[in-house]
Amino acid sequence: MGPAISARGVVKSFGQLRVLDELTLDIPRGVTYCLLGPNGSGKTTLIRAIVGLLKLDAGDLKVLGTPVSRVQEIYSKIGYMTQHKALYPDLTLQENLEFFAGLYGIGKQEREQRIVELLKMVNLQGLSRRLAGALSGGMYQRLSLACTLIHEPELLLLDEPTVGVDPRLRQTFWEYFERLASDGKTVLITTHLMDEAEKCRIVGYMKAGKMTAVGSPDEIKRQAGLKPHLELWLKDIESDCARLRAEGYEIEILDGVARLRLESHKQIKSVLEIVSPLDMRLKEPMLEEAFLQLSEAA
Amino acid sequence: MIQVSLSRIGVVALRVVRQLKRDRRTIGLIAFAPIVLMILFGYALSGEMSGVALGLVDEGGHPALRSHLEGIEDFEILRLGSESDAELLVSQGRLNGAVVLQPEEVRVLLDASSLQISQAILAAAQSGAQKEAASLQRPGVVTTRYLFGYDLEMMDTVGPAILGLVVFFFTFINAAISFIRERSQGTLEKFMVSPLSRVEIVLGYVLGFSLFTLLQSTTTLLVVTFGFKVPMRGNPLTALAVVLLLGAGALVLGSFLSNFARSEFQVVQFIPLIITPQIVLCGVWWPMQSIPEFIRPISYMLPLTYAGDALRAVMLKGSSLTEILFPDLLALAVFFLVFFAAATLMLRRQVD
Repeated sequence: MGPAISARGVVKSFGQLRVLDELTLDIPRGVTYCLLGPNGSGKTTLIRAIVGLLKLDAGDLKVLGTPVSRVQEIYSKIGYMTQHKALYPDLTLQENLEFFAGLYGIGKQEREQRIVELLKMVNLQGLSRRLAGALSGGMYQRLSLACTLIHEPELLLLDEPTVGVDPRLRQTFWEYFERLASDGKTVLITTHLMDEAEKCRIVGYMKAGKMTAVGSPDEIKRQAGLKPHLELWLKDIESDCARLRAEGYEIEILDGVARLRLESHKQIKSVLEIVSPLDMRLKEPMLEEAFLQLSEAA
Repeated sequence: MIQVSLSRIGVVALRVVRQLKRDRRTIGLIAFAPIVLMILFGYALSGEMSGVALGLVDEGGHPALRSHLEGIEDFEILRLGSESDAELLVSQGRLNGAVVLQPEEVRVLLDASSLQISQAILAAAQSGAQKEAASLQRPGVVTTRYLFGYDLEMMDTVGPAILGLVVFFFTFINAAISFIRERSQGTLEKFMVSPLSRVEIVLGYVLGFSLFTLLQSTTTLLVVTFGFKVPMRGNPLTALAVVLLLGAGALVLGSFLSNFARSEFQVVQFIPLIITPQIVLCGVWWPMQSIPEFIRPISYMLPLTYAGDALRAVMLKGSSLTEILFPDLLALAVFFLVFFAAATLMLRRQVD
């Protein structure tokens, strides 16, 4: 079994604009993969290319081992959620789910079971007779996700699935995605939210139609050379900092707080042997900083 | 590769029905639009005519009347040997009417299913007879024979066509708007990434809408036949078959044209372009003979021309399915197939 998605030198231009610029990427099976990048970096275009909605100018793209030119043969294995919610507001939740189940030829018994299960997962149980159009934005989004999952796809392509979903439910989504990945399903998600990206097993940073960094969140921080910092509140900041600097620590003072760069967490102990701070705080590097650094370098 | 699954078509059809069922205003429109239209259009204008095919049986006695009729430019006179020939040709629809000149009497045979032409022929015969009477100093007697043997009213000719018009209008607009919505709400893109094929999408729509077409044509037929006392000489099921074929044509046309509109607002702007010509040129309010000849080719491309003709044939003349097969049903079928292909091709999956 090869990767869920493999792209080699994929090019797609709209007029003069090269939206995918010799993009190369591998997404292994059974992971949650986050496609991160600023607006207009080509995330949605890449997803639309993967499902065969775009004709590529050049490059080689395989989806679940099938060349993208024949991807329609495996549509029953793909779940695709667009940024549009792609629902019928004038149908009830139940009818929407039944309709999408019907497209995939899911039998009645299995369908009913899955509808109950999915409505529970997206926390819409008990609302199955409500019209979709009467739902709030976040609820609508959740129903859209349920419709995308109805046929238990092997490959899930979710374009900004958590927009408008409250943090607690977002957590439920991520746990569900994680569970799908452990079952061997592949979940590809686009987002521009860093905290969501942190939850994925693999993060790919996309900029101007290219992948500029790929790896687990920790790997990416290491690649970018980002280190944790220790913030120290000191009684006598000048002399304490002088002593620490004498021991070879890099410190900068910002608004009366000493910011000390750690090579590893073990150093905290030796720092505390040199000074006794009034208070302290450990700041882990942010994924965001890592990406900023990496994309500037690229 | 064309893959068609009946169950998937059924899934799309069921969804269309569920959506429309919930739209009470549209359902109301289906039921009441025909009545309003009939009141609005019930009194159509008669226009200038040309190319009225008139049979003439001359058994002597009225040279002045004959030359009067021959002198009317709009009439194409066909000389016939006997009244029975004339009767046959008129009832076959090959002549719009005939005048039988006998020494004692002038009889006008009229095709009851096209009112304005009948009136024009009758008026011409009467004015000719008056002129003749004035010169001969004796009263001119003109008797009228309607070949379908009943009193002709405007609604009789207009009613069947309204049935077609209402179905065409409703289905066209609703189909176009539905497809616009499928696009704008993103469901069409979702279809494209599902096992549902383009053919199945369009056929599902045809099937779903057909149920409403049936509902609509049944209520309209009831209003036309009971409310306005238009006869139903043929089989009502034959009339429904014509309407269903017309509705299917309107649906695929709407689906096809939805590609050229970006919003529901723009769909409404198709009305003057698509619907109005059908009303004006389909030969219902103004008979085909009154439409200038250079425009008539357009009339012959409009589905309502054939649907109106077929419905009048079924309702007024009692024609059977086989009698309206050519050209009417054939033309409607060709219209459907052409736009079915066009609509399906426009639902392209890939964009360049």
